[in-house]
Amino acid sequence: MKILVTVKEVATVEDEFEIEGTGIADQYLGADLNEWDDYAIEEAVQLQEAGVADEVVTVTIGPEECEQTIRQALAKGADRAVRIWDDSLEDVDLLDVGAKTEILSAVVEEEDPDLVLTGVQAGDDSFGATGVSVAEHLGYQWGAVVNHLEHDFDDAASVRRELEGGVEELTEIELPAVLTIQTGINEPRYASLRGIRQAQRKELDVKALADLGVDESAVDAELELTDMYEPESESDVTTWEGSAEETAGELAELLRDKGVAQ
Amino acid sequence: MEFGLSEEQEQIRDEVARFAENEIVPHAEEYDTEEKFPHDIVDEAAEMGLVGASIPIEYGGAGYSTLESAIIAEELFSYDPGIALSILACSFGTEAIREFGNEDQKERFLEPVARGEKISGAAISEPDTGSDVSSVSTRAEKDGDEWVINGNKMWITNGTVGDFFVMLCKTDPDAEGRYDGFSQIVVEADRDGFTSEKITGKLGIRASDTAELILDDVRIPEENLIGDQGAAFLQQMQFFDATRTGVAAQGVGIAKGALRAALDYAQDREQFGKSISEFQAIQHKLADMATKTEAARNLTYKAAWNVDQGNDITKGASMAKEYASRIAVDVANEAVQIHGGSGYVNDFPVERFYRDSKITQIYEGTSEIQKNVIARELLDKGF
Repeated sequence: MKILVTVKEVATVEDEFEIEGTGIADQYLGADLNEWDDYAIEEAVQLQEAGVADEVVTVTIGPEECEQTIRQALAKGADRAVRIWDDSLEDVDLLDVGAKTEILSAVVEEEDPDLVLTGVQAGDDSFGATGVSVAEHLGYQWGAVVNHLEHDFDDAASVRRELEGGVEELTEIELPAVLTIQTGINEPRYASLRGIRQAQRKELDVKALADLGVDESAVDAELELTDMYEPESESDVTTWEGSAEETAGELAELLRDKGVAQ
Repeated sequence: MEFGLSEEQEQIRDEVARFAENEIVPHAEEYDTEEKFPHDIVDEAAEMGLVGASIPIEYGGAGYSTLESAIIAEELFSYDPGIALSILACSFGTEAIREFGNEDQKERFLEPVARGEKISGAAISEPDTGSDVSSVSTRAEKDGDEWVINGNKMWITNGTVGDFFVMLCKTDPDAEGRYDGFSQIVVEADRDGFTSEKITGKLGIRASDTAELILDDVRIPEENLIGDQGAAFLQQMQFFDATRTGVAAQGVGIAKGALRAALDYAQDREQFGKSISEFQAIQHKLADMATKTEAARNLTYKAAWNVDQGNDITKGASMAKEYASRIAVDVANEAVQIHGGSGYVNDFPVERFYRDSKITQIYEGTSEIQKNVIARELLDKGF
C-alpha cells in the first residue's frame, strides 16, 4: 500500500506581534511544519512500521526555502518527497482551497496512492477544507477529523472521527480515501539523528505546474484577503498560585459557577 | 572559507532544540533540586539517537563528527546543562573502544550504548590524581586470564548509574617513563568487589550523576583490555582535542542559554515606566554577552572543524576550551545580574546556569592546565 501525506510549512507568530496591512510584520514570523501534518506523517510512518504501507510519500506546495522543513518528514521515516513550485505561485498572496485542490489532485493522480493523509487544517490560514476538497475532486472516499485509525486493513480503513460536542463516530472507509488527521491521534516522534542523516540522501523531487498538467489559471484565487485585525477580547483570566492539590478545588468551583461543569 | 552550517546541521540543531524545549525544560528544576539522574529523559533522548551521536553507524549510532557533536552539545546545554550532560555522558569512554577496541569489544560495548540500553563511563581521576594523570595508582594485576583491580576512582560521571567504565589502571608499576605502564580496561559495574558511592552537594550540574568508585579485588577477564597493554596515555592523548572541544561547546551552550534568558527577562521586566532593555547599561551588558558568546562559538567550531580534518590543533582546542568556559561563567554571571533579585532564586533558569557554568573551567583539564598547554605550544617547549 502506498500512502501520500500532504504537508505544509506554516507561518508561526510570536506572542507579541504587529499587523502590517493584511499580514503580520515579517519580524514576528517564523516557520515550522504544520502541527497537524506532523501527526499525519507519524500515522503514515507507523502504518509503514506495522507492515500495512510499503511506501510513504510526502507532497508540499512551497518554495525552496521550505525544503528544510519538509525534510523533517523524511527524517522521521517518509521515503521520498515531492515539492510543487512554480513562477506563477510566487506572487500569490493567498492560495485558496480551490487552487490547492487542483494542484494536489494532480499529484494524487500521478502518484496513485491507496491512502492520502492530510492534517485537519493548517495552523496559519486554517481553511480546514483542503483534504476533503481533494477527495471530492477525485471521487475518493473521505473521513474528516480522524483521531484513531486501526493499523490492520486492506481495502477499507476503520477510523474513529471526532464530531461536534464530544461525540465520536466509528466508521469503515473504503480505499482509496483521504483522511484528515486530528492532533492527538498519536505521539509524533522526534526525528532521530540517524534519520536526519539518512534524509539528506532521500529523493526530493521538484515539479512545476506544467509538469503536473495543471494550468496556471488554477492558481488565480477566488478569495481576496481584505483585512486583518485583532478582535476585541472579552475574556478574562483567573490564575491561582499554589500546588495542584491546593488550587484544584478552586478551579472546580469556578467551572461550576460558570456553568462549564456540573 | 565557509562560515555557515549545512542544512543537515541546522536540522540537527532545530530538532535538538525541539526535544530540549519539550522534554528537558519542564523538568530541569526538579532534577537539579533533587540531584536526581534523569533516567526518563535519557531514555527519550536515546530513542532520538542523542546518546550515541558519535558512535559509528555500523554500531547503531549516527556517526556524527566532532563539529556536529559540538552543535548538539551547544544546543542541549543552552537549555539545561545538568540534564544535557546526563544525556551526552551516556557514551563517555566509548571513544577509546571505538578507536582502539577490537570487533568483539565494539559489539559488546558500543551497540548497547547506542541503543540506550547501557550507560558507559570513563574512570580516570582518583582522590589524589587530578590534573597530574600520571600519578594514577589504581592497580590492575594479571592473574591467569584475568585482571585483578584495586583502587579508588573519584569524580566519576555516571558512577552509580553506569553499566561499565573504561578505567585507567597501572598495569606495569616498573615501567620507566612517567607516562608508561598504564592501560585502559573495561570494568563492568556488576563485577564482585565493585562499589560506588554517589557524591552529592555539587555546586552545579546536579542532575548528572557523580560518584566515587571503589575497587576491591575486582576480577575482569583479560579480553576487556583495550588495545595494547601500557598504551593508555598514547590512546588518551588522541582524544584531548575532541573532548576539550566538546567542553568548549558546552560553555558556548551555557552562554547561549543565559543570554537567551537575559534577553527575554530584560524585555519583560519594567522599571521606571519602561522595560529595562531600554536602559543603555543593560543594552551594553547584552551586547557584550552576545559578542563573547559568538567569539567563543567561532573558536569552538573552528577547533571542531580542525579535529574533523585530522589537523593537530592542541593549541586551538585548549584556547576554545579555556575561552568558552570563561565566557560561560561571565555571561551566566551577567545574566543573573540583569535578573536582579529574581536571578538569585531558582524561579528562572539563570540561577542554574550560573552554578552549572563553573564546572566547564574545571573538568577535562582546568583553565590553568589549558593555559599551560597554549603557552607550551606557543613557546615550542614540547610535551
